[in-house]
Amino acid sequence: MSTKATPAVLLEKCSKWYGQVIGINDVSLAIDGGVTGILGPNGAGKSTLFKLLMGRLKPSSGNVRLFGVDPWVSTSPYRRVGYVAETEKLYDWMTGHDFVSTLARLHGMTREEASDRASHVLDFVGLSDVQNKEIGKYSKGMRQRVKIAHALVHDPDLIILDEPLHGCDPIARTSIMSVIRDLGSQGKTVLVSSHILDEIERITEQIVILHNGRLLALGNLHAIRDLLDKHPHRILIRTENPRKLAEYFVPEDPVYGVRFAEDGALEILTNDLSAAHEVLPRVIVDSGLKITSIENPDDNLEALLGYLVGGTS
Amino acid sequence: MMDRQGRGLAETVWTRLDRKAGAITELTIRQLRHRLSTWVVLGVGFLLLICLLALFIGGVRDGWEPIDNDNDSHDWDGDGYPAGQEYKYGSDPTDGYSFPGSGEFVEEGSFEWGSVGIYSGNHTWRWATGVFTYNWIDENPIGGEMLGIQSLSECPEGELFEDFWLDWGDGCRLDENRLVVHDASFIGNGTFRVQEGYYAEWGYMEDSFDVEPEPASNYIDEDDIDWTGDPNKINGFDDDGDCLRVGWPDESTPEWDIWGNWERHDPDGNRNGVDCDVEWITDSDGNIIAINPDNNVDEDPSEENLAYEDAHRAFIIGTGKIAFVMILGIFLPLFLALGLVRDETENGTLHYLLSKPIHRGEFITYRILGYLVVAGGFVLIMSLLMGLVTASLGPGDSIFRLKDVIVWLGIAFATILALAAYGAIFNTLGLLSSRYGVYIALVIGVYEFVMAVLTLGGAELIPVLSVSHWTLQLIDSIVLIVWPNTIEMHIIASAFNLPSGITAFWNPPAHTLGTESPFVSGLISVIVLFLITSLMILFGQRQFKRREIM
Repeated sequence: MSTKATPAVLLEKCSKWYGQVIGINDVSLAIDGGVTGILGPNGAGKSTLFKLLMGRLKPSSGNVRLFGVDPWVSTSPYRRVGYVAETEKLYDWMTGHDFVSTLARLHGMTREEASDRASHVLDFVGLSDVQNKEIGKYSKGMRQRVKIAHALVHDPDLIILDEPLHGCDPIARTSIMSVIRDLGSQGKTVLVSSHILDEIERITEQIVILHNGRLLALGNLHAIRDLLDKHPHRILIRTENPRKLAEYFVPEDPVYGVRFAEDGALEILTNDLSAAHEVLPRVIVDSGLKITSIENPDDNLEALLGYLVGGTS
Repeated sequence: MMDRQGRGLAETVWTRLDRKAGAITELTIRQLRHRLSTWVVLGVGFLLLICLLALFIGGVRDGWEPIDNDNDSHDWDGDGYPAGQEYKYGSDPTDGYSFPGSGEFVEEGSFEWGSVGIYSGNHTWRWATGVFTYNWIDENPIGGEMLGIQSLSECPEGELFEDFWLDWGDGCRLDENRLVVHDASFIGNGTFRVQEGYYAEWGYMEDSFDVEPEPASNYIDEDDIDWTGDPNKINGFDDDGDCLRVGWPDESTPEWDIWGNWERHDPDGNRNGVDCDVEWITDSDGNIIAINPDNNVDEDPSEENLAYEDAHRAFIIGTGKIAFVMILGIFLPLFLALGLVRDETENGTLHYLLSKPIHRGEFITYRILGYLVVAGGFVLIMSLLMGLVTASLGPGDSIFRLKDVIVWLGIAFATILALAAYGAIFNTLGLLSSRYGVYIALVIGVYEFVMAVLTLGGAELIPVLSVSHWTLQLIDSIVLIVWPNTIEMHIIASAFNLPSGITAFWNPPAHTLGTESPFVSGLISVIVLFLITSLMILFGQRQFKRREIM
């Protein structure tokens, strides 16, 4: 249904202040199709962005359009939107199936339709075996998935997930990630927020980075990462003899310096992270040294933000 | 028949709206069902009504004691005759020496106070204190106790007032034909020696004859209302003769006392030129609008016809107004409606509901609808239960008083309208201020209660700015529609000074736009309650629509 003329999500110079506090600041954004990660530390404005999209908040200035309609004024775009809110509260006395089918009826489905659809989406998120249990007895991961199920029950074109992986154990995380990837591959527009780069990286390449309410970067994660790679970057290698290993690294081209960290690790400084990673295995083999770990301490959101903020200011 | 999307043609915007309404209403009902406070408040309401029903059933089982409305079944002066019988015979009901057939005491002589003396003969002796030596005596002459010697025992050794004491009216036996008496009255032939410092008089009874005392029950419900249905005929009949009688003991008193109050018995108190009747005034439609009885006419009607019915209706109206409207009507919304939207906002569960294509305004309406199903359902069930019991056990010839049930349904309808209005008000208050809403709601609850009490007391103007006033008037209107003679019962009860619950709990509807029609006042009440509810819902919707939800 979505055409190029009306993207699923459109923000034009949109700002939202809570009194003196900035929620988001002058954000312009158009998103349509595929999974997009909304990345930013806590307080960056991710939830504010979503609440603007869901018509919970009124923009202080600028426009918000959901399928071309202002969500503050009309609820009609919600026919095509599924929203997983940040809230942890659920109706604990309801069964998962009850919860999803009751909310499905708010889309105008009959009882039977709603029940069928609820079973279907609960199966899709992997809750079919516990769908008749009370939600109060669900684990954290199940609770997140039942929230996702309710957002999917009407087969929406746009799905907005606010921190869906927050607080989940690794198994739940994996299954929720695969659900999100599946949705993306079905051609839906999916917005998923997180403050953990690694999580988003495992779901999608297309990201939006928010920081202090500002739109910091938008585009392909790899492209952003390449930019990052060109920036001085550290690789931390723990080995029995850092000095000997350093001798092997110093002549290599992408490496412009080495440093000895206090706990007996070797820090390699590079301007081209991917090139450095390319030479890394060969150098290590050549040295014949035993390596205990290799870390990229700069390969996280904070580092990325640090770089981006540093680059813009 | 299918449309393009393969749905049946019945699938319209309206059916979809219907489904959303159904889903939110159902969700609200289920939420309320899962809250302890719901069960507590419904349980307390249930107990209250069951207690009232138990009182009602207890009252019915004890039966109706006939009421002596004019207080003439009692023997006030202790002469053995009920006051009503004394009225008929013209004796004084407050004087023990004056009773039916007692005649007149004619005094022939007496001892001087303080003198010592002896007098002999066959006499009626009064207020005699001393020793009587006789050859015959009637210690209990006709008419009762006051004239006779109250109690007669063997005298102890010694002298009266020195060694032993007698109560007034008592006597004791010295030997076979000698009595000692203290202020006693009797008839006998012998010699009386007065006690020094005391008194006695003697004489005879004139025109005395034997009258059998009647049982008190003859003077309960003895003067029923006699209404021919035609105001031009002479109505009212003094069945017990206490108006028609002549020769009242107060005949000698002046007509007017020094305060200007009428003192003497007046057989034509209503001044219509007919003695001892009741003037009934009707309007052109034949409805009774006023009743002016003469004193003591139709003053002790049979409870079977009026008071039972009055008390029964009063129970229904009183319970309907106080228990249903003033207690359930205010407390159910306080507990159930205040948090309808507020709690969802505070819990954050509102996000699930508002991310669906449903307007916030609709959402409020359906929430209130869900609450109304729970609270209104409870009220309806309870009123039907009350109706079944009162209709089965109430007075009258019919086995089942169907009209009772109709009035109860009317009470339920009025209460549900009040529940809707209060629900809308309290829900909006909860929305306006989640912290202080409950206190404002409590203040409003108290205000509404006070306005209801004023309305019960007959106030027509001050309470118009309240929900309870219109709800109570709606009940008054429904009562008058179902039982059109309630006004007449009201007038009759006031005219004959009968104890009436209807006058306490029921007032003729005030706001009839001059038509005096209960249909008009009922309709006005319904419209006002609807308006209040709609305005409060609209106001709540407006507030909620503009609200940013975090």
